[in-house]
Amino acid sequence: MKNIVEFKNVTKCFKDFSLENINLQIKQGYVTGFVGANGAGKSTTMKLMMNLLQADTGEVKIFGMDYAGNEKEIKERMGFVYDSNVFYESLNLKDIRRIIAPAYKNWDDKTFYNYIKIFELPLNKAIKTFSKGMQMKASLAMALSHDAEFIMMDEPTAGLDPVFRRELLDILQEIMEDGRRTLFFSTHITSDLERIADYITFIQKGKILFNDSMQNVQDRYALVKGSIDLLNQDTEKLFIKTERSSYGFQALTNDAAEVKILLGDRVVVEEATLEDIMFYAKGAKHQNV
Amino acid sequence: MENVIELRGVSKALKAFTIDNMDLQIKQGFVTGFIGANGAGKSTTMKLIMNLLQPDNGEVSVFGLDYASHEKEIKDRIGFVYDSNIFYESLNLKDISRIVAPAYKRWNHQQFKAYVNQFELPLNKPIKKFSKGMQMKASIAIALSHDAELIIMDEPTAGLDPTSRRELLDIFQEVMVDGKRTILFSTHITSDLDRIADYIVLIDEGKILFDKPIYELQEQYALVKGSTELLDPDTEAYFIKIDRSPNGFQALTKDATKVKEVFGNHVVIEEASLEEIMFYMKGADSHYD
Amino acid sequence: MINLIRRDLIIQKFQLYLFIPCILFFIIFGSHLSAFFIIVFAGFFIPINAYSYDEKAETNILLNSLPYTRTQIIASRYIGAIFYMAVSIGITIVLFSLFNRAFTWTDIAIGAGITLAMFAFAFPLFYLLKPGYIGTAIVIGFILLVILSQPAITFLGEYLTPIVQFFASASTTILYLSSAGILIVLYAASWLISQMIYQRKAF
Repeated sequence: MKNIVEFKNVTKCFKDFSLENINLQIKQGYVTGFVGANGAGKSTTMKLMMNLLQADTGEVKIFGMDYAGNEKEIKERMGFVYDSNVFYESLNLKDIRRIIAPAYKNWDDKTFYNYIKIFELPLNKAIKTFSKGMQMKASLAMALSHDAEFIMMDEPTAGLDPVFRRELLDILQEIMEDGRRTLFFSTHITSDLERIADYITFIQKGKILFNDSMQNVQDRYALVKGSIDLLNQDTEKLFIKTERSSYGFQALTNDAAEVKILLGDRVVVEEATLEDIMFYAKGAKHQNV
Repeated sequence: MENVIELRGVSKALKAFTIDNMDLQIKQGFVTGFIGANGAGKSTTMKLIMNLLQPDNGEVSVFGLDYASHEKEIKDRIGFVYDSNIFYESLNLKDISRIVAPAYKRWNHQQFKAYVNQFELPLNKPIKKFSKGMQMKASIAIALSHDAELIIMDEPTAGLDPTSRRELLDIFQEVMVDGKRTILFSTHITSDLDRIADYIVLIDEGKILFDKPIYELQEQYALVKGSTELLDPDTEAYFIKIDRSPNGFQALTKDATKVKEVFGNHVVIEEASLEEIMFYMKGADSHYD
Repeated sequence: MINLIRRDLIIQKFQLYLFIPCILFFIIFGSHLSAFFIIVFAGFFIPINAYSYDEKAETNILLNSLPYTRTQIIASRYIGAIFYMAVSIGITIVLFSLFNRAFTWTDIAIGAGITLAMFAFAFPLFYLLKPGYIGTAIVIGFILLVILSQPAITFLGEYLTPIVQFFASASTTILYLSSAGILIVLYAASWLISQMIYQRKAF
């Protein structure tokens, strides 16, 4: 399986925050969801991917190429949707098309006007009058009109209502159908990922905790409930984080199979949602996850 | 049961949008979730409740009082959180608390400090340096520190990561424990409501589609799947909206018991999530509620 | 590159409609203003206004996410500035002739030179500053200019007499050539510095 994006030991330091030794692969042809707390490093990672930031050390490769010397070719094949509006606010879509279109060799006007129609966007209204959802659709139309192979989206569903989110996820599923495109998007609404993501990348405090298929994540992680006397040094190793109360303990494991073998019927094992995983992983030590 | 907020026959015509003859009661001692598409009128309704907008017609009463003669008293008992930052951007939290505190009779500085600690907010950094999540937490800390009986929040969980959202919901639950407070909040993340809401109000195009206890929604609203042959003018009356496809129909009902009685084993009945209810009600006529 | 330069025209549609009436206003009602001043104003207007649109972080994110390199983005700014200045001054000359306003080619040469020198100082400074601070920088720069220009001239007059004498005695050709040379070096140095700053900028 080919990797569209590859980070090798990437480090980037800021005054009050740093990404350390990031290794990351994004598989071609799949939807990868990017989750993590606010400030965990999602936007920084995405900016490194777009060459808006340069890594202090390590390697960032997109389509197997380095940015040095291949910047134009890489960006030619990439589409982007940011969480804030990056288009000139006072311009309308017609004018923005006139600015964006000539930048791409592969730009196709027919596709563009087609998506504008599907997305029901007005061509003559200034972008600043657009709702958040419309701005998002406009960005997506731009990305699709130059036939981007890799589309990167920073919280495209934030602030959108559930009905609209569902519509958007349907659109994303449709554009993935031919198997040529790769989608990478960050979100706080993990139920959206449960709907469309094939892979999940989880970042915490500047470190990638896991980068695994949705199936594996769902199989491996589980919430375990049981009586406190089951906890000892050996069994605690199975858990990423354990919460004790007077009724018993509740813990997150990343090895559900092993828990079942060792503890069997003495505990209740429940499916962990992405939200549960994020919640429990927050206080955990990295090496455990 | 006493109503904390009561809207009777409220109309408000804005340029692009109108609320027509709205009736709404928010019950004391409960958490009410306010849902609806972007632009459905959630913020306008909340502004009417906060007296930021005055109705053209009808009556708004809060705590059984009207704004015309009791504005100060009402506002002294309300805490509010808006979805954008409304504090002076260049000030830090210390200065903001100095400005806000004297406005309230029952400002509790101890309480404020406790929330600031719990939310890990810096007191000396200007608000504009705060992330969206921190700004939200700052607003919430202020809203909860003057012993407000009614807390109104416009999308308080938007832009927050799942872990912070869960922490926040836990805090709301704590705040509600003494039973004399009321929370009204709007959100697009309906899984948050599944966790804490007692009542759900759904608004669409300026009209309240329903105002119901959440257990009633969970019990009585359901997705029904079956063969299209089952549909005729009589049976269609049981459904709010019907989607037909070559494989059969899928529809939302608000009377699962009745559907079970009528169709028995000929249909599959599944629980409808709030998201699904919103999705199906979007296209439906408002007389079905 | 041409696309990047053309972009300035698209984003400034409304300001461009204002441009000609503005120059006309100066020509008709500003008879006390020197032709030189009007030329500097005309040349400065479009490129600096275009820059103000690029001040926002979001715009830089957009430009850098499109298939352009940072080198190209800076180059388009410097080449675009010369191009728009030339066009603006061209339009101004046409308007001068239409309204019989007197001007000399020296006015134009000096006006263009001063405008370019202003760009050379302004651009690297703008790229260095964080968004939102450029307005303040212009005000401070203007105050400094007013305060320092008098002492600077006195200083030049007193201590740099030999240089002044050289300029006074030199023929106009040498004078023009040497100022043109200095200007080119200044502009090129400014371009390089901006590029270095922009290359390292994080958005």
